Amino acid sequence: MKTRFFIIIFVPLVVFGSSLVLGPKIINPFGMDETSREILFSIRAPRSVVALLMGMALGASGAVLQGILRNPLADPYILGISSGASLSAAIGIVAGLTFLGAFTIPVLAFGGAIFTGSLVGVIGWKRGGLWPERLLLGGVGLSFLFSALLMLMLSVSSDEGLRRATLWIFGDLSMSDWSRIPYGLIFVLGGMLLSMVRAKALNALILGDEMAHSLGFTPHTERFVLFVSVGLMTSASVSLGGMIGFIGLLVPHMIRFFTGSDNRMLIPASAFMGGALLCAADLVSRSIMPPMELPAGVVTAIIGSPYFLYLLRRKNVLGL
Amino acid sequence: MSSASDLPILEFDQTCFSYAKNGSFIKDLTLSIGEGEFIGLLGANGSGKSTILKLGSGILKPASGELTLWGKPTHTYKNKDRAKLICYLPQTLDITVPFTVRELVSMGLYPYDIPPSMTAEEALEMVGLGDKAAAHLSDLSGGERRRTFIAMTLVQGAGLLLLDEPLANLDIRYQIELLRLLRRLREERNISVVMALHDINIAFQFEKIMLVKNGVLLAAGAPLEILTEELIRDAFGVEVTIIREGKRNAYISYEKCFSPSRNEI
Repeated sequence: MKTRFFIIIFVPLVVFGSSLVLGPKIINPFGMDETSREILFSIRAPRSVVALLMGMALGASGAVLQGILRNPLADPYILGISSGASLSAAIGIVAGLTFLGAFTIPVLAFGGAIFTGSLVGVIGWKRGGLWPERLLLGGVGLSFLFSALLMLMLSVSSDEGLRRATLWIFGDLSMSDWSRIPYGLIFVLGGMLLSMVRAKALNALILGDEMAHSLGFTPHTERFVLFVSVGLMTSASVSLGGMIGFIGLLVPHMIRFFTGSDNRMLIPASAFMGGALLCAADLVSRSIMPPMELPAGVVTAIIGSPYFLYLLRRKNVLGL
Repeated sequence: MSSASDLPILEFDQTCFSYAKNGSFIKDLTLSIGEGEFIGLLGANGSGKSTILKLGSGILKPASGELTLWGKPTHTYKNKDRAKLICYLPQTLDITVPFTVRELVSMGLYPYDIPPSMTAEEALEMVGLGDKAAAHLSDLSGGERRRTFIAMTLVQGAGLLLLDEPLANLDIRYQIELLRLLRRLREERNISVVMALHDINIAFQFEKIMLVKNGVLLAAGAPLEILTEELIRDAFGVEVTIIREGKRNAYISYEKCFSPSRNEI
């Protein structure tokens, strides 16, 4: 058991460190020249921090969402938050909006995400609380609607913003710089903290509302708080660098194998491993054939899926 | 079996409840559950058994009438304080996440800031699952899963268990096993049990039953004394024969229901 916890702390640190020094140009941290220092601090460090934050947000919110929706197939994007963010960001990109300078697109994405999250909340609300099935189906419905609008917009527009918008939607970390990180940090860590202090309630909610009540919780209140935490983390993640698949859905399942299903452990562990995975994927994506970059989301899935499938065959990952 | 004391734990006093805006489902229900009692709440499907248990546990709020737990109105308890006294277990316990037995049983600690005396391991030992602590819930049989939840209520320290059809999906061996376990817990730890059930033959094994129909309490008392063929016809709408075996046992025969003259149904 100790080894497992050690792995969960150690792996992300090693991966993060490696992502700073490795790449098309290998940097010796003990003998840096001016160029290396510039690359390390202005390009790689912010990018790795963004990857870490996004991965953390996705891993943690995936774990929380699978609990509140009582559905092992839930991932943070199922609520339509990402589609709303993408649509809003794409409108900004294609229309060439720059009212907030470099912040315009992230702010638009965050706004779109929070708007969509709230809308899903309104749809999922009935008789004084959020209902898992309504949330899930409401999210899927909105997701289809916004994706369709996005495709419609991209197919009728022909300007050069198109490629950028598409790139952004599939996860683009190449634009990362220090300026967005403080905001990302606040929302990601805030959401994570919120979900971690309610982790016991999340465990109880997985047993059903009646059991949660029997254990001394108020199911509707707890679900609402946890939903807000997911909304914050997912919105921050999408606005930092677009959509990255795999992490939110499958990292929590992989982590359950290491730490068990208790959310007090599962949420932070999924966050760390999600962050590590995205960091590693980003490292691979920019190193494999420079100067070209592969979308990080593609690499995440290519690294992660075989390992996940291996675990699924070999171990009792899903309790199946 | 120890005799129940007269101290009431849970009391319904003219409690009413309805799911729809108009109409009422539970009508002026008055009943009282004493410390150490072991009660079968008997009734047909849709008779209001689950609703009564959910009202008792505070999951549902009564539209009118009083509901008291240990002499205090139920709604005046803080959630965590109530959880230390009473626990409702729903009929279906399907869980989508692979919790281990130990993880589940440890959730009984949630209402507490300072852990109470019983650990998950001790509780599992008590329900005969001492060797299953590391197993996943999905690897257990239906009977073992039930017992895991009972172990959780032991850790929780709840003195009153409201069990919604706990025997429904178990075969006869596991039904008997669970009933024996609950009776033992009542002997050893003075735990009171109210159990919804619809099997009349099992009901004869209880020392006290409450028979409900359409949200109304038809009768309460020792099954051998109160259960008659007329009462069963009224509550379940079937013609059965009660066969008595001396003074201490009885069971029902369905033979009349299937006599040739009734085949037209």
